[in-house]
Amino acid sequence: MNWLVQGLSSSVGKKFVMGVTGLLLCGFLAMHLAGNLLLYVGEETYNAYAHALHSQEWLIKIAEVVLLVLFVGHIALALVLTQENQAARPIDYATRQSKKDTPVLIITPDNWMFVSGVIVLLFLLLHLSEFAWNIWLTEAVKGKEPFEKARIILTDPLSTFVYIVGPAVLGFHLWHGFASAFQSLGLNHEKYTPLITWLGIIFAVLVAVGFASFPIWAWATMETL
Amino acid sequence: MSDTLNLTLKVWRQAGPDQPGEFRVYQLSDVSPDMSFLEMLDVLNEQLLAQGEEPVAFDHDCREGICGCCGLVINGQPHGPLRETTTCQLYMRHFKDGDTIVIEPWRAAAFPVVKDLIVDRTPLDRIIAAGGYVSVNTGQAPDGNAIPVPQEVAEKALDAAACIGCGACVAACKNASAMLFVSAKVSHLALLPQGHPERKKRVLSMVSQMDAEGFGACTNTYECEAACPEGVSITNIARLNREYFKALFA
Repeated sequence: MNWLVQGLSSSVGKKFVMGVTGLLLCGFLAMHLAGNLLLYVGEETYNAYAHALHSQEWLIKIAEVVLLVLFVGHIALALVLTQENQAARPIDYATRQSKKDTPVLIITPDNWMFVSGVIVLLFLLLHLSEFAWNIWLTEAVKGKEPFEKARIILTDPLSTFVYIVGPAVLGFHLWHGFASAFQSLGLNHEKYTPLITWLGIIFAVLVAVGFASFPIWAWATMETL
Repeated sequence: MSDTLNLTLKVWRQAGPDQPGEFRVYQLSDVSPDMSFLEMLDVLNEQLLAQGEEPVAFDHDCREGICGCCGLVINGQPHGPLRETTTCQLYMRHFKDGDTIVIEPWRAAAFPVVKDLIVDRTPLDRIIAAGGYVSVNTGQAPDGNAIPVPQEVAEKALDAAACIGCGACVAACKNASAMLFVSAKVSHLALLPQGHPERKKRVLSMVSQMDAEGFGACTNTYECEAACPEGVSITNIARLNREYFKALFA
């Protein structure tokens, strides 16, 4: 197994692992979003889905372990690569100008992957502390059904802000990350690379708008409580 | 002489590898727009010599855009503002009268400054050396068309072989990554039948040497492609990745 560890420890290998973990996490995001969208179907459907999901004890445990491995791998490599990449240029230029064509976004996601990643991590920790670990807003959501719990958490003013900014930054991260992962895996071809690039942008926008819509929905439907 | 340029040059001066460097400001008058960027530096050096100052050291050889020797970061852009152009092929007509031009060496841990604007690019040579040999049959000269190569494959191989090893990709990359250079060298041999016998060993050794030299990793920002004077495409980096995984797993 020495060959594998050595191979994946190289600069090309580390980017491969970064790409694989990133794409698998994208798969998780797609499933998570699909589940959450049941909030729009109705209270009963969403509660039934949430209970059905949580009753699968083994499935949840396996999924949690897999997700933990993916997140830790992705984050640990981000730290190592960022450190190595910065060490590769100890003295920076006095002035820098890109020679690329003008990008679509003024702030380019590819230059801010570490920063956007850190923000997404902070968002994830806050999200887990509310929904999974029940550290915040414990009294307010005690004994509430999943649908009601989501609405209570999302209408907390601080949470509203976090649950709009968090997905927006996540989308910004994916704008570059999704298509970039394919390049790191060596998948670049004139036939399908333009499609992957567009899919990445569409996925990034869907994730950002999809998840950020829930706090807005929570506020909009609060009157009917 | 109304169409000549009066320029302010901010040039990186560094006496040696272990000496501290700094920017020095020089005024240069009556620069012809028909001069190349290097000719403009020649004029600056004449002026400095006349003043009894040490001339600015910069790398150059063919001055025809094919040797890969010259390479300066001009106003934050490797080889200056033009696409697919080396520093020697950049002409002063692309600058305006009264411009301030900042001139720096390639910046990378793997490319230590030798003097002023000259950096040590031997890490690129060591990567090539790590690639090793290409097996050839000795004896009679083979027939020129004995090995069939599809035209589109030959084009891709030659596009990769256009790399002149100037290091602009390293200079442009925010991670000072040499991935475009290595991918061009790996690609042009991996694509052609002549490069196949040592294909796997070559890519593994070259990536290993690239890492040992202290270049950064690729974050797919593609500044390298935009800065490459030969227009080497980042599809070569994807091919490098594929070649690496094929060699590793297969």
